[in-house]
Amino acid sequence: MAGWSEKVLDIDLSTQTYKTYPLDMEMARLYIGGRGLGARLLWDMVGPDVDPLAPENVLIFTNGPLTGTGYQTSNRFSVTTKSPLTGTILDANSGGFWGMQFKKTGHDVMIIRGRAQKPVWIEIKNDEIKFHDASELWGMRVFALTEKLGQNNNKRNVLCIGPAGENLSRIAAIMNDRERALARGGPGAVMGSKNLKAIVVEGKERPGIVDKDQFKFLLYEARKSLAQSPLTSQALPEFGTVVLMNIMNNVGALATRNHQQTQFEGAEAISGEELTDNYLVKNAACWACPISCTRITRTEKVEGEGPEFESTWAFGAQCGIADLPAIIEANSLCNDLGLDTISTGSTIACAMELSEKGYMDSDLRFGLADRLAPVIEALAYRRDIGADLADGSLRLATKYGHPELSMSSKGLEMPAYDPRGMQGQGLLYATSNRGGCHMRGNMVGPEVLGAPKLIDRFQVQGKSSFVILHQDTAAAIDSLVLCKFTNYGVAEEYFARVLSAVTGIKYSTGDMIKVGERVWNLERLYNLREGFTSKDDTLPPRLLSEAPTDGPSKGWVVQLEPMLKEYYRGRGWDEHGVPTSRKLNELELNNLV
Amino acid sequence: MPTVKLFANLRKVAGTKELPAAGTTLEEVLSELRKRNPPLVDAILEDGTLRPHVVITINGQITIDLNASVMEQDVVAIFPPIAGGASPPSFRRMNGWMV
Repeated sequence: MAGWSEKVLDIDLSTQTYKTYPLDMEMARLYIGGRGLGARLLWDMVGPDVDPLAPENVLIFTNGPLTGTGYQTSNRFSVTTKSPLTGTILDANSGGFWGMQFKKTGHDVMIIRGRAQKPVWIEIKNDEIKFHDASELWGMRVFALTEKLGQNNNKRNVLCIGPAGENLSRIAAIMNDRERALARGGPGAVMGSKNLKAIVVEGKERPGIVDKDQFKFLLYEARKSLAQSPLTSQALPEFGTVVLMNIMNNVGALATRNHQQTQFEGAEAISGEELTDNYLVKNAACWACPISCTRITRTEKVEGEGPEFESTWAFGAQCGIADLPAIIEANSLCNDLGLDTISTGSTIACAMELSEKGYMDSDLRFGLADRLAPVIEALAYRRDIGADLADGSLRLATKYGHPELSMSSKGLEMPAYDPRGMQGQGLLYATSNRGGCHMRGNMVGPEVLGAPKLIDRFQVQGKSSFVILHQDTAAAIDSLVLCKFTNYGVAEEYFARVLSAVTGIKYSTGDMIKVGERVWNLERLYNLREGFTSKDDTLPPRLLSEAPTDGPSKGWVVQLEPMLKEYYRGRGWDEHGVPTSRKLNELELNNLV
Repeated sequence: MPTVKLFANLRKVAGTKELPAAGTTLEEVLSELRKRNPPLVDAILEDGTLRPHVVITINGQITIDLNASVMEQDVVAIFPPIAGGASPPSFRRMNGWMV
């Protein structure tokens, strides 16, 4: 069948052996690829008895039927595992080139099991799989390692962990193509626990396409739409995502100093406008992406990709720091050490508040830009104060007796959007299956940017229907796997049409959104099986009870309870947040429980 | 007099980050701006209505009402189309839902 390679590569690091077998195509039809396929496979492989850092946990790398076809942003891939940070199901996806190259090796899925006795790295050239001793590579940072292993964007691509993953930091990322990240929830620690330093891929296979004429037409149409949209043709290429800094600050929804305020007086100094005027070298793009939102920036000390909005916020407003060069350098350092920038910045901010309030003995204080780099280094190596910070803000705050100061949901640090100024975003964070996250759907479009249309950001009643739609759509796009930015210029009708053209299976838009709903419910079932309950669908007490005392969000806290009740009903779940048998039947999930 | 703050590429069009503009409604403020810099307002309005995805706030509160009142000390912030985070579902799917 076209689109999929119909092949699974299953690697056991304990024995350094591998096997390949056919992909279950009925499973592929129901879950497509990426996040969906990963979730379905993890359901069978990793139960509640497995510690995330034990050899029995797995890393499942997946691409999708569109990956490598050349359709706009068809470069992405996913990793699915049980998160060592949250204990929930985790998937993270990344762009760049590695996903496209992995698809060209002729595999849809790569499962990594077990634990190598000594550090190894894996080299995959089409059907040829080699295990190499990585003893001499252990300890290397990401940039040097990526170069050493022969990164060549269109021919040979490197995915690896840095020292943070080796040292099992629960906020460690897996990096690919030097500065792209499978960042959230600690997949780098899982890879480190397996003594796996890197996976290098080279391939020659081209994905099959059933209806090539229709595919070419849709490619042309999508390119035209992306070129016509002011969001994808001007906003993202010209200013990148950091342009959100000023608007989020202006409307009073920019989390500041560990969410103690909702506006940052230094926002302009760390804005997209400032970055573009003074630090931008040029734009760059992932494979097959016409948007080119990547920003290559330079300071006196570093030159590289980013930082994106969330990273700039995490080291900026969240830490009370208005020093853009220090933020750019912190972002680069995290990429080199293999760390999730959102969790790292927010964990440092948590430590700053704990220290300022006298709960923790350290010299960290809000606004101290020169402390960023040393603390990040210490965190990656679990040295000194870094030992406390390496496992994220919830474990840190709990150790010092104040778990309420961790700005996380289900243990995952939330990103920049303060939900007191965006009620729907609060519901979205609280119900996100991998914890506080803006990529499982994001209400910034309708609640602030007016995309596709503006809704009242403070309204509570009826908000859940928007959140559900966003979550299901995001899960569908993550299963294709495409970049969500394309959806700013191209309707998801196009995704269904291109999926049909590539695979020969007729998918309507409704079918595709149904896949997203199925994936969302399966992830929910996974978390319920792990022992999570409706009590975990919540937010830090600060966001539920401490209203901002000034600014445009003055007087607002997140009205979570009524939204949550409405959300459960809208999802077809019972009052405890458990999917009903009727819903499971509707989604063809009834055979799993 | 109200202060108008501009962001992203509107700063290039206007050649400044902020400027005062007289008016008691948003429409009057924009008319005042048009007298001084027609291309700037062309980037904000199309046929007398806001261009798609242009966001205007008055003291941080988002408004789409050109008749909205503007007071002497108010700050009017104008953002051209900007994007980031995860994208929303397309207009057609959301159109018809509660607003």
